[in-house]
Amino acid sequence: MDALIDVKQLLAGIDTFELSIWLSIALLILVVIGVRVAFATALIGFLGLCLFFMQKQGFDRGLVTAMKLTGQIPHSKSTTYALSLIPTFILIGYLAYFAGLTGFLFEAAKRWLGWLPGGLGVATVFATAGFAAVSGASVATAAVFARIAIPEMLRENYDPRFAAGVVAAGGTLASLIPPSAILVIYAIIVEESVGKLLLAGFLPGAISALIYAILVIGMATFRDNIGPPVSGFTWKQRLASLPGASPIVLVVIIVIYSIYFGWATPTEAGALGALIVLAMAIWRGVKLKQFRGALLESAKLTVIIFTMIWGVLIFVRFLGFADLPGAFADWLSGLDQPPLITLILILLCYVVLGMFMDAIGMLILTLPVVFPAVIALNGGPDVLRDASPFGLTSEECAIWFGIIVVKMVELCLVTPPIGLNCFVVASVCQEERIPISAQQVFRGATPFFAADVITVGVLIAFPGIVLWLPSLI
Amino acid sequence: MSSNSILSDESTLSRIDRLVHRLESALTAASGIVIFALVFVAAANVIGRKLFNAPMPGFIDWIEQFMAVFAFVGLAYCQREGGHIRMDIIIGRARGRTLWAAEFLSAILMLAITTALIYGSWFHFLRSFDLSSPLWSRDSTIDISLPIWPAKLLVPLSMTLLWLRLVLQLWGFGRAFRSNQNKPVAVPLFVDIASQAAQEAHAIEGGHGRSD
Repeated sequence: MDALIDVKQLLAGIDTFELSIWLSIALLILVVIGVRVAFATALIGFLGLCLFFMQKQGFDRGLVTAMKLTGQIPHSKSTTYALSLIPTFILIGYLAYFAGLTGFLFEAAKRWLGWLPGGLGVATVFATAGFAAVSGASVATAAVFARIAIPEMLRENYDPRFAAGVVAAGGTLASLIPPSAILVIYAIIVEESVGKLLLAGFLPGAISALIYAILVIGMATFRDNIGPPVSGFTWKQRLASLPGASPIVLVVIIVIYSIYFGWATPTEAGALGALIVLAMAIWRGVKLKQFRGALLESAKLTVIIFTMIWGVLIFVRFLGFADLPGAFADWLSGLDQPPLITLILILLCYVVLGMFMDAIGMLILTLPVVFPAVIALNGGPDVLRDASPFGLTSEECAIWFGIIVVKMVELCLVTPPIGLNCFVVASVCQEERIPISAQQVFRGATPFFAADVITVGVLIAFPGIVLWLPSLI
Repeated sequence: MSSNSILSDESTLSRIDRLVHRLESALTAASGIVIFALVFVAAANVIGRKLFNAPMPGFIDWIEQFMAVFAFVGLAYCQREGGHIRMDIIIGRARGRTLWAAEFLSAILMLAITTALIYGSWFHFLRSFDLSSPLWSRDSTIDISLPIWPAKLLVPLSMTLLWLRLVLQLWGFGRAFRSNQNKPVAVPLFVDIASQAAQEAHAIEGGHGRSD
């Protein structure tokens, strides 16, 4: 081939950086037209490596070098111990359904919190937060609770729009409270401590749930038509509701406790959590077929996530040669505006992207370029607190940005036009013959969306909320 | 994760699809079992270490070697189900020939990178495999010196199965394009994500019933 076309000469004038920009545009086009993200990134990364090496070694040798370099990435990047945490968290999520935790949680939350103004709404917030935390799946949580909580709220004469809105919004609390697979993936992509990220998510997640609950109580107090408290439960009934809901609390505590005290590695903590949920599922009479289904689904989601990770790392390998992230970081940090404004603009981009794309996919796709830019905005990888515009070291900035960005991508699940949680709640309502339209769900979720925007603002203004727990280890 | 409904008939394509699917399902089930084993082994390790001061020797080495199973062997299964993540805002609106052409293009690009990966990962395997060395291995894990080649070999093998799956999908999408079919066999048909999530939730609830 080299004899036919002199590839070296053909590529001689092309600048690798310029090439990386063109290839990044090509990647975006491939992703937009629906090529699977993992393979689109791997393909473009491989093409970039091919062109890079062909420029230096000619067609044949360049192609072989690129193939050999690309071919070692899947194995070498996937079989690292830190990643072994992912399947354990995923398995916890799938088993949680079969452990019947949804109904138990809602019942416990109702008995303990139902007496508050808008009590069933408050119960829904905490039940969805708890279940979403262990299941890690926002959309599925919204769908499951739409079936459990909405009919019950309507029976108690709650405002249908509110009932649907609180369920749709409650699902979004999934990603921050440990165990959170998305935070693990973030930590691995940006090469930060998985344990610290998991710990960092707890307070913001819990605060989000609290803010939701306060919002519900406020709405029920100041507006007449939200819904009445549900009272009349005895202490005996309340206590009786606890054992069923306890596995969730146990799982969250085990993960946090293990990491906080260095008692176990995150993988071991995830494994203990999975065993607890499994024991609960067995106690609830999970059928072998259901268990097999949970294992198969876990295997499927695990391979999907691993493929995304090595796929994007092939692209990252090429970007490393081209130094596109470095140039993007220089450009962003050189903009003539306060770094905070740039950061907020980046976060707004995530809101827009999140309307069109799965959260994990979006993070994996964007972080290799965006993350170094955020670190540069903060003053670079070796910055001291005093010299940083955000007042954070680069490690702190990585953790802080991770939590905020994950919160932002969750926000998109209740944002029109594509807010998936709202559509899912509406479609479940339709199935259950509950007359609530998607527009009504969106309107019902709007106050929660507003509350989330405030939460994000608070997290940006007070990084200490995010960084306090991880700073203790 | 956008689609999962695969039709079948008595055509050669569909028969091969079902045959390959059996292998894919078995491998994915094996991957599920490894995940389950990981849970047990990791829990046993922490309990052994904390309660009996007896951690499992080479725990991390074993985990890292077995990770290759759940990281790779389900690749083709996921592709059959249309499980790998993509942005479906445009392709989700396409119908008929436009859709099949887009799917065909997508599969052919995937086939290209998969081919390169088979070659590259095979070389990666060959570098650590040597019939004349102890355990046929040129390299080994740090702690208890497990051979690494079996895990490395899983990559080209899994990629080859994915390659086969992609060829079947090219066949399926190509046929759908040629004869302008609405419901082609052996390829994942698009289900919008909202109704899929709703179906999932329905199945889940049906699975365990309500506890209140």
